[in-house]
Amino acid sequence: MANAHAFPLEGKWIPSTCGMCLHGCGIKVYVQDGVALKIEGDETNPDNLGKLCPKGNAGISRLYDPARVRKPLKRTNPVKGPGVDPKWVEISWDEAYEITARELGKVRRDDPRKLLCAIGDFQRILLWGWPAAFGSPNFFTSLGNYCGGSYHPVNGSVDGSFAAVNDYDLCNYWIQIGSGDGFSSHLHLSGSAKRMADARMRGMRVVSLDPRCSIASAKADEWIPTLPGTDRAFVLGMAHVLIHELKRYDRQFLRDRTNAPYLVKDDGYLLRSADGKALAWDRKLGDARPWDEVAADSMALEGTFTVDGVRVRTGFQVWADLLADHTPERMSEVSTVPAETIRRIAKEFVEAAQIGATIEIQGKTYPFRPSALNYYRGSQSHANGLFDNLTYKMINMLVGNIDVPGGHLGVPLDHRGFFVHPGEDGMLKPEPHQLHPAPPFKYPPDSTHLMEWFPIGFDAGQLNTETLLDPKKFGLNYEPEAVLLYHSNPLWNLPETDKVEKIMAKMKFVVAIDIQHTESTQWADVFLPAHTFLESTLLNCLEPPAVTGHSLRQPVVEPVGDTRDAYDILTELAERIGFRDDWNDVLNMVCGYTAQPKYLLDPEKRYTTDEFWDQYARSVYGDDKGLEWFKVHGHSVRYRTPEETYMPYGDLRIPFYFEFIQRTGDDMRRKFTEVGLQDWPLDNYKPLPFWKNSQVIDDGKAGFEYFAITFKESLHTFADTMVMPWLSEVSEKDTTHGGVLINPVTARKLGLKTGDRIRLTSPAGSIEGNAQVVEGIHPQVVGVSNTLTRYVVTNERAKQRGTHFNRLLTGSMRYTDSATGGLESTARVRVERISA
Amino acid sequence: MATANVAALGTTRKMLGFSRRVVEFEDATVADLLRQLNTLDGRTLYDNLVCDGKLRGDFAVVVNGLTLKADQLDKPLQGGEEVVTMAILRHLHGG
Repeated sequence: MANAHAFPLEGKWIPSTCGMCLHGCGIKVYVQDGVALKIEGDETNPDNLGKLCPKGNAGISRLYDPARVRKPLKRTNPVKGPGVDPKWVEISWDEAYEITARELGKVRRDDPRKLLCAIGDFQRILLWGWPAAFGSPNFFTSLGNYCGGSYHPVNGSVDGSFAAVNDYDLCNYWIQIGSGDGFSSHLHLSGSAKRMADARMRGMRVVSLDPRCSIASAKADEWIPTLPGTDRAFVLGMAHVLIHELKRYDRQFLRDRTNAPYLVKDDGYLLRSADGKALAWDRKLGDARPWDEVAADSMALEGTFTVDGVRVRTGFQVWADLLADHTPERMSEVSTVPAETIRRIAKEFVEAAQIGATIEIQGKTYPFRPSALNYYRGSQSHANGLFDNLTYKMINMLVGNIDVPGGHLGVPLDHRGFFVHPGEDGMLKPEPHQLHPAPPFKYPPDSTHLMEWFPIGFDAGQLNTETLLDPKKFGLNYEPEAVLLYHSNPLWNLPETDKVEKIMAKMKFVVAIDIQHTESTQWADVFLPAHTFLESTLLNCLEPPAVTGHSLRQPVVEPVGDTRDAYDILTELAERIGFRDDWNDVLNMVCGYTAQPKYLLDPEKRYTTDEFWDQYARSVYGDDKGLEWFKVHGHSVRYRTPEETYMPYGDLRIPFYFEFIQRTGDDMRRKFTEVGLQDWPLDNYKPLPFWKNSQVIDDGKAGFEYFAITFKESLHTFADTMVMPWLSEVSEKDTTHGGVLINPVTARKLGLKTGDRIRLTSPAGSIEGNAQVVEGIHPQVVGVSNTLTRYVVTNERAKQRGTHFNRLLTGSMRYTDSATGGLESTARVRVERISA
Repeated sequence: MATANVAALGTTRKMLGFSRRVVEFEDATVADLLRQLNTLDGRTLYDNLVCDGKLRGDFAVVVNGLTLKADQLDKPLQGGEEVVTMAILRHLHGG
């Protein structure tokens, strides 16, 4: 660290890892006389390349925030409610643990499922197993589901990845749909922004599709405004153009690297041989043969055939037929994007893909497809999110760019890489669940978020707002009594806040592990104050798009106040409640020690934070690279190799026709029928995506004329950082975050001007805010910044002037993807002026 | 006699009443090893974990780092294996 940025004081730079968002950039912290004075990006870490976003720069203000909770607290006001003063009194850690262990212990002895857990610390995924060790299956937050509800299962189903992003280094034509990758958010922003800037400097073109002129749209070569939740229609129109008009797509990729040539019967299932092998059409023989007996140059990619009197089509042909009526004109009516724009972008996209080109990297020849579509929350966090995600994957497949240089690349969950297991028919095995195995169907369900009813889905936390207020309707045979909050704020992040407040009012005991008070901790009975990232220890590795490895978060200063490390807190609670042995065994499973038994934690031993992370470091890097090694070197991060990045699954095919989704749906239909629940929605278990209206589209017919969206930017992480004065001050100065964004055309129509007080009313609820008239938003859309919307703020310098968007949303199944559990993040609203 | 190092996690630890043990065997498969492990309910780990000759879906057996498929319990043991038994971790939640 001798070459660190000059700083005019005597002191030292300490390497560590940022904790201001989930990703964890390498940082160095300048410390003098035990006080942290400055944070900069660590230029030795290839993940963020010395860059650091505003959140990371502001980290010190969290450490020393005067509003931070510095001692354990006990509630003395038995009355609970929004805005009700808990009348906190400081207590000792021993008393705080004693109360919490006593109350949670009662719950565990009675029925551990009666505990709801809301855990929001992404960098400590290893600690997400604590509820399992306790015995609770319940996930009482929707934070991860807002972005990844459908996204992660589809990534896992296609190529065993967890996330995905285009190839910054080699892509030449980048379509960005509802995402901030490289500009304002998502995967490791600081490094990605540098990589995006470099790509733009070498000439990469960016086209951004977004209802709002986001940061990505503002910096793109072209911004195409669209309606929320209709991005898929735009892309389906592109697919129609490629297949039916231009007839340009990567036939070799689709034939040789996907199951697109496999034959599909009219019932949607693959035609199989007597021994169960998928069949393909052999053009030379004029007959169907097992897929692995047909020579590549003889395998039909397109066509309709008859086999033993049964009509079959290739998987590719089935989608081509499905898309026949998805013309640009029809998709234009849905999305409002002109048909000629859809055609032009499709043409630019396929031309830039250079179908047929190859590239040699480190002595190996790969296909080269430097054109790719990138997407994230805004484009697929919708009630038909499965179809959204499948569509975006498949447009990339049409130009053959999945996991090849220049194209759309899978990003693994952590250092263990892609989930690569051979599946059936020469395919990569779909891995929709990567945080835990697919939950088996169960009725009555165990979990309040009904995880047992979503075998290919994520964890649909928003369903708590339905099930917990009417448990019997969903067959739940118990009612939760306690909540554990761990750096999560379900009162802010779950939809329909009024319902969440009713749920919290039913709880007999709430414990919060956090740094500051939030909307949720005001319901707590005990508050256990945790360390910030500048006082705590962990090894971080999460969704790195370009690199692999771990970086160490280590204490750079003595803890402020009487605060503790979250691992220590959870372990102490496990010990006092009486399940430390189970807790260690869950950690054994989560850490992967079952494959390395020499590192198994002893169930009878209490491990300190340092001992735990030392064990983890040695299990990954060998016994000569324990925690002490990381304390000196800071990180072990390196670039991923081409073999780790491009087609890491070798010759295994990826799915183009998703038969397993249909099969899963049919299986669920049988199971629901067996238990008498025939009306549970299962309509999205389809093998191919197409356009169908979601409930949000249909709400327009009920008089909810406008679409309401929310957005954030690089200044903030969810709701977490909005209460930090340094960051809120920057946000305040940006009119984007000053109110409800409305296009001038719409404002004139409604008689509104900037500053007018307005009300947005959705089918679920209403919110108020100040109109902010701006050009950069679609005329049928109103935008509510997520940036200044906290309503419990303990530091008065962190001004808030937004409005809580989630009150417009609903957690009901009508607004939930029936296959993945992904929730709808857009609402239809009426807009009315309250006062000038 | 050959030996295997058995580590029992979670539910299987509670079934067996121990977490680590070196088990001796002769010409044994994984299934044989599970039959040798007596559980506190008077049966064996095999009785508890295996149904119709296949490993139940809610349990896992890992041998030298490789998780066995349900129908791989006839895998022969050579001696020196690290065998881990456990219930499947069904949920890991955060967000």
